[in-house]
Amino acid sequence: MNRRMRSVIREGLLHVTRHPLRSSLTAFTSAIAIAVTVNVISLSFGMQEDIAGDVDLFGRHTLDVGVPPALAPGVKRPSLGEAQVERTRRLLTGLDPIVVPRRQRAAPIRVDGIDEPYRLQVVAAAPAYLRTLSIPVAHGRWLRADDAPGSPELEGTCCLDEASAVRLWPQRDPAEAVGARLEMRIDGVARTMRVVGVLSDPLRYRELFETFDEGRGARTLTSSLLSFRNIYVPAATFGPGDYTGISIVLPTDEAVLEAQERLIAVWADARDLAALSRGSLIVFVRKQWMEALGTSTMQGSMVGNLVWILVVLVAAVMISTLNLITVRERYDEVALRRCEGAQRRDIALQITVEGVTTALIGGIVGLPIGYVGAHVLREIVQFPFRFELRYAAVATGVAILLGLISSVIPARHAATLQPARVLGRRLR
Amino acid sequence: MTADANKAHPHDPFLVEGCADGAEALAVLDGVARTYRSGAVEVEALKPLDLCVRRGDFLAVMGPSGSGKSTLLHVLGCLDRPTAGRYLLDGHDVARLSDRELAAVRNAVIGFVFQRFHLLADESARRNVELPLLYAGVARGERRQRASEALDSVGLSARMTHRPNQMSGGEQQRVALARALVKRPRLLLADEPTGNLDSKAGERVLQLIEDQSRAGTTVLMITHDPEVAARAEQTLLMRDGGLSRA
Repeated sequence: MNRRMRSVIREGLLHVTRHPLRSSLTAFTSAIAIAVTVNVISLSFGMQEDIAGDVDLFGRHTLDVGVPPALAPGVKRPSLGEAQVERTRRLLTGLDPIVVPRRQRAAPIRVDGIDEPYRLQVVAAAPAYLRTLSIPVAHGRWLRADDAPGSPELEGTCCLDEASAVRLWPQRDPAEAVGARLEMRIDGVARTMRVVGVLSDPLRYRELFETFDEGRGARTLTSSLLSFRNIYVPAATFGPGDYTGISIVLPTDEAVLEAQERLIAVWADARDLAALSRGSLIVFVRKQWMEALGTSTMQGSMVGNLVWILVVLVAAVMISTLNLITVRERYDEVALRRCEGAQRRDIALQITVEGVTTALIGGIVGLPIGYVGAHVLREIVQFPFRFELRYAAVATGVAILLGLISSVIPARHAATLQPARVLGRRLR
Repeated sequence: MTADANKAHPHDPFLVEGCADGAEALAVLDGVARTYRSGAVEVEALKPLDLCVRRGDFLAVMGPSGSGKSTLLHVLGCLDRPTAGRYLLDGHDVARLSDRELAAVRNAVIGFVFQRFHLLADESARRNVELPLLYAGVARGERRQRASEALDSVGLSARMTHRPNQMSGGEQQRVALARALVKRPRLLLADEPTGNLDSKAGERVLQLIEDQSRAGTTVLMITHDPEVAARAEQTLLMRDGGLSRA
């Protein structure tokens, strides 16, 4: 950048400061546009980001072979026993899988001080099961191989989800659930279990997931797991019987897809989630299920993005009009500058610098307004909201773009002004 | 303009004689004409005319309103291009110069003074005077120094930080003159420089212009006032787009 260009840029900046009212009006328009942008980006992009994060937490390299929890009336539940588990292991030879069979059923849970038992999902899982969730243990520990399954005579051990702890002991902190006792009845046998660990709830937008699930007309196997209102007990707690699912953890995305192909070749048409109602076994990659959810939420966020793009465009037109009026008021000045040696590009640069600077100032003012506005919206409509510095960077970029777009026509108009025409009409 | 058209244009012996005597010409108009289109009507603002302005000349152009004086000034100031003829300025054929080169010529060769001063209202006198140096790429420190010197030369050293609305008309015109002179122009074009001033202020401005002429700057001044025109070495008359010696 040469000295002349630097001087022209400085002229533009000085002009902004010397016309505070005019600059404020333009900046205010920009501020509104940026506030809306920040608001919507925080809501839509934030939600997308969080869902992507949830996909990771749920286990992006995990694949499930499952029995649908809700079958059509009269449809016999398919068998998923030791033979299928062994077959699965054989099918995945060479892919370095961790195969974790899982039993799951609803059971009444009773704790001291509560008369009516709650029905919660009880999952009987091997210690490796935690790896299929990729979520941390919030308090206490996870199940070990030597944990007792529990019997009427011997107290067993269990873990539970944070949401389950809150439901069973609403007045307590979930951390205090560690060490607490609960009773459950499984297969007609009453068992006493001591809580040894509480799993954190990885889903930031539980309601969103559940809404999505309801929208599909049936609770899917995945959403059943995703509810994270489970109690986890040692595998031996349940007697012999069908597994409700086999979770398989694989080392890479490629291995996951390869495993899916191999399993689908055995359990035909199981890739289709609609197969739930037909009662067949299903084979699905959790990541794909989550991506389907992501696509659904993306449609919502696209509407939001259209809103802010529209607002920015309207602001661009308004600022462009303001700038054009300003240029028209400055014909004499532009003509004089051209007389004194300004080239067309000097004029265009100065007008552009003025436009970008005012839009940027508006953007900086609009950032906190949008941030506060998003918080207010969150309180009113309970919508997920997330703000990060990079959204501020995006909004700043939008502000600069807004300034550039809104300066194109005024700058071009000013640069092509014929000084002789202006001088002939007005200067003498 | 084509060669045939040039041949068809009869040269005015008075207005080109200066260039024939071997003196160094700064600006030469050779059959220059300027027509405008106003709707369906073509207006001949300048009829084909010849003019030789030698270095150091002090010329006054007089004429009624609408006679083409300002158009002549715009053409001479490279603000407008002739529609016919050839204009040589400081050895350059203006028709061949690009827009960017014309801007450079205006910046380096020509100084303008307007009847209504035409200062930047929000800027101080010094910043106004710095303006042409800004487009010449002069460093900020040097700009300030040269602007201060120029204002000092027109007797406004005490008004450097004043804005135009804090100064009298005469002072504003002197600022405009300082702005024209700060780039040390070879051609000073003044369009009614005393038209908006009282006699005392006008006299001060005229003296400054005369000083510049004596210092070797070529001056072409447009005026309605015969007394002002009389201060020039030579007066030309403009009527209906044509130029003649007074």
